[in-house]
Amino acid sequence: MRPARPLLESPHFLSLLLLGAVAWSLTGVAWGEPLLHTGGGDSALDMLLALFPPDLSPAFLLVCLQAAWHTLSIALASITLAVLIGFPLGVMASGALVSPDSRLRAPLMLSSRFVLGTVRSIHELVWAVLLVAAIGLSPLAAIVALGLPYAGILGRIYAEFLEDTPEEPLTALRSAGASSWQTLIFGRLPLCTPDLVSYTFYRFECSIRSAAILSFVGIRGIGYEIQLSLGDLLFSQVWTLLLALLAIVALVDFWSGRVRQSLLES
Amino acid sequence: MIETQEPARYRQRRRRKLTFARLSFYAFLALIAVAWAYIFVEGDSGFTLLLEGRTWENAGKFLTRLAGAGQDERPAFLQPEQWWATGRLAYNTLAMSVLAIGIAGLGAFLTFIFAARNISSGSLGGTPSRLGAVVYYFLRILYAFTRAVPELVWAMLIVFFLSPGILPGALALGVHNLGIMGRLAAEVVEDMDPAPARAMRASGAGIFQIFLYAILPQTLPHFITYLLYRWEVVIRTTVVVGFVSAGGLGLEMRLNLSFFHYDQVTLLILWYLLLVTGVDFLSAWMRKMARFE
Repeated sequence: MRPARPLLESPHFLSLLLLGAVAWSLTGVAWGEPLLHTGGGDSALDMLLALFPPDLSPAFLLVCLQAAWHTLSIALASITLAVLIGFPLGVMASGALVSPDSRLRAPLMLSSRFVLGTVRSIHELVWAVLLVAAIGLSPLAAIVALGLPYAGILGRIYAEFLEDTPEEPLTALRSAGASSWQTLIFGRLPLCTPDLVSYTFYRFECSIRSAAILSFVGIRGIGYEIQLSLGDLLFSQVWTLLLALLAIVALVDFWSGRVRQSLLES
Repeated sequence: MIETQEPARYRQRRRRKLTFARLSFYAFLALIAVAWAYIFVEGDSGFTLLLEGRTWENAGKFLTRLAGAGQDERPAFLQPEQWWATGRLAYNTLAMSVLAIGIAGLGAFLTFIFAARNISSGSLGGTPSRLGAVVYYFLRILYAFTRAVPELVWAMLIVFFLSPGILPGALALGVHNLGIMGRLAAEVVEDMDPAPARAMRASGAGIFQIFLYAILPQTLPHFITYLLYRWEVVIRTTVVVGFVSAGGLGLEMRLNLSFFHYDQVTLLILWYLLLVTGVDFLSAWMRKMARFE
């Protein structure tokens, strides 16, 4: 028989809590007023019908291609920045560099974890809005805005991977006289390379989507073009742009799947 | 003789197998180089701004104004009534995130079972039918599409026909997360232990009974755990859909930025961080309740 749980920890209480929370959230909607704009239904229908067919004129496809490359280049640049910031911080946060009984260990780990946590908890678009206000509208602002939260995520996960490496090979290295640095470079890193690479690739995928919406603050890219087309009520162009975004993400997804597979096989 | 051959053969095999990953790595590095080159060559990258004193001066000014220095009245984040006034927005934002999770959870809960391959192929119970296969592919494509369109784009589309408030934002977040939740839940069903379902089928249970007594008990804890994890992401994103007039803290943040009310922006960011931390805490607590025994 299962040990009885206190009421506050029982699954039934959780179900009730979740349903209650959703019911509460419904009270936030202004049900008294019409939910649709006047003519909102028609524009929703227009939007849907514009998919058949999307705008496939060569001139617009060129615009799409350019916007896609813009978005991709921002994503690539920001993932480089994220790795450059996240990797050293992640190594520090994992505590792999200091010996377990060092007095420096706790402050170093905690401070790097705090930095990673802070940059991570602010959404990239909030970073973008703040950075644009601080240093002006430029690709630089976009790259930093994406790079900071992604560095936070990558750093945290890198630290977890580095901590989770099996102990035996490391002990062998240490007993052969390897320093913390040597244990890191010849022990921990090679052991978790496949994980590190495939996770970075996965985050690169995410960064493409993020870069696309980042152009909302005015940086050129797919999101910017979507905004322009929406403003002109050219819904068939919006669909083309959305399909282009889907295509890039699917392509990168396929690529990273192959890389992961090949890393696992070796 | 054999001993000297073994390592050589091993090395050769290893090299051949690594080719694709290594090739991809170099291709990726090349892509990064091209991207950086493109950013620097094409128009104003903004990096030259870093060398100008003016940029740092402006950034410093921006930061001091965020901190509320250099204005006549007390900064907004030190006035209790301002906290109270913006608290209503935080309350709405929280409601928006919960409603979004409700939409995503309900939508995924009603459909995920038909999107699992082992259900549509009939290997867990029920009979395979053409309709089942059609529904399976339809749902998988629907999930992929709703997931691939970013929530901000959903919000931009939805504010076109829904009145402002928390509903458009919640719907945008809900639709995006429906795709994520549906896929995760369907994969849980595909990975689950088939023995209980098969035992029930062998003793004559119908598909509905199998769902209720074999599939649901195994998948529901996973489902709720994923849902709570997504809630943590959603609360961070509520601010973002607010930027496109979908209500909540984000809308107010953008308005205040355009009016240069930077001390208000700080107040809203503080609320945002409070919400994010609070939801992380709540979600961790509830995930513990949903844990398996």
